Amino acid sequence: MAELDVTKPLPAITTEAKPFWDAAAEQKLTIQRCQDCNAWVWTPRPSCNECGSERVEWTQVSGKGEVYSFTVIRQVVGRAASKAFEPDIPYVIAWVDLDEGPRLITNIIGCPVENVKLGMKVSVQFEKASEKVWLPKFKPS
Amino acid sequence: MSIRNKAVVVGIGETPTDRLGSKPGEPRKSSAEYISWAMRLALADAGLSLKDFQGQGLGVTIPTAYPQPFWPEEVAEILGITPGFLLGGATGGAGAVSLLGGMVAAINSGLIDVALVVGSAAPFSEHWGGGIQPGDMRDWEIPYGTMGPNSKIAMVMRRHMHQYGTTLDHLGKIAVAGRYHATLNPLAYLREPMTIDDYKNSRLVADPVRLFDCVMPANGGRAFVLASPERAKSLRKKPVYVKGFGERSNPSYGPRAGSDALIMGVKDAGRVAMEMAGVKHSDINFLQLYDDYIVVVYLQIEDLGFCEKGDLGFFERTDFTFKGQLPIQTGGGIINCGQPSTAGGVHHILEGVRQLRGEGGERQVPNAKIGLISGLGVLPYGKNLGCCAVAILGNEV
Repeated sequence: MAELDVTKPLPAITTEAKPFWDAAAEQKLTIQRCQDCNAWVWTPRPSCNECGSERVEWTQVSGKGEVYSFTVIRQVVGRAASKAFEPDIPYVIAWVDLDEGPRLITNIIGCPVENVKLGMKVSVQFEKASEKVWLPKFKPS
Repeated sequence: MSIRNKAVVVGIGETPTDRLGSKPGEPRKSSAEYISWAMRLALADAGLSLKDFQGQGLGVTIPTAYPQPFWPEEVAEILGITPGFLLGGATGGAGAVSLLGGMVAAINSGLIDVALVVGSAAPFSEHWGGGIQPGDMRDWEIPYGTMGPNSKIAMVMRRHMHQYGTTLDHLGKIAVAGRYHATLNPLAYLREPMTIDDYKNSRLVADPVRLFDCVMPANGGRAFVLASPERAKSLRKKPVYVKGFGERSNPSYGPRAGSDALIMGVKDAGRVAMEMAGVKHSDINFLQLYDDYIVVVYLQIEDLGFCEKGDLGFFERTDFTFKGQLPIQTGGGIINCGQPSTAGGVHHILEGVRQLRGEGGERQVPNAKIGLISGLGVLPYGKNLGCCAVAILGNEV
């Protein structure tokens, strides 16, 4: 069977999110924070979704967190582009709660899938996905 | 602020579901054919004709991969209706219950007298393409290799099991009750008896989500008709009143950047609907809960307040069959009857109406007077289901 020539889907670099990707390329994890009510705002957006203020500023976070939950992908389904993930199987999709509060969807890397546990402490590690995009992933601390 | 007893369900229509088109060369029907079929069934049930809907209400569920953005208007063309009030159900799987609420409000306002709500999809026989993803999914999920809703619900299910000690026996009880009812429902698609072991041994699709945790996509169409109480008097079927309605979209429990993923918006939608209807938990004779996944049904029973969050004993001692203390999914739910995209959510309303008319056949809940129906849709980033709607139906004013 012919190999399907598919590449992994990349995020669109929107105007709201460009500062995030610029910082990620420098191995820094940043999240918007409201300068009026101090709420963390994630995912990126033009105003604070707790109080409505437009004074949201990109703020570097610790890059540390813990696994809230996860699943192991053992089969690709759905969109044709999903095929691009086939060589990575099995891999972990997780919700990671940053120490600062926001919850990210990410991959847990750097350990066998069997070792991933809820509550496990993890820290960020950026993986290059394209010239402009470094994806924040997490490894056991 | 109430729409209690301001409108009546006077007709229902549910086509059989199928998976035609999954094999090459199979005969197939279009979503237009299923929607037209469902309408004819509902009109015949109500004893109404097309001309009764000219200048009246038409509500159409919007499928997740819709053929074009003006689908509700196209449906009006397909059916031959010139509506005076056209509403698209844009809350995903919650669309059917959302449209019920919207149409009751329109009837109560005097804008219209009757309304037809229809939905269909033919995911196996038509291929509309992948659709456009919301920005959050495109930018912050899919690049990590998430595989649709299964990945997210798997995380919800694992977290619940971790936090409360929930086991496959607790969850499987929901699955077995639903399938048992499906064996008694001639319109169900999956009608083979299923044991708890069948559930526990079913194939793992997104650890810990198994095959029998998941809804089954299907081709099909579903419809219902609403009328003002005055108009309903001259119609043929036993009236089923809409007694309460509540909706919550973009629910958040805790900080929005890290909302509690184990609580669903039905917590508030259900409270609002029950207060409007003036009913207590003990007044409710059955639940028809939106069932894209077994764990989602389980969470709703907690969030609607039938037990405390994490009360495993409640699930151990409660009989969820039609003969039991808290009948759920008495037609089998869409896990067993099939999910024609967002038209899936119409099923729960139709089964609720059948029970309240006494048309439940072999699965009739004895003395059913009040039922609770839920609709859920959309799985946004980092959260549980994003659109939640609840309706209370009853057969007495």
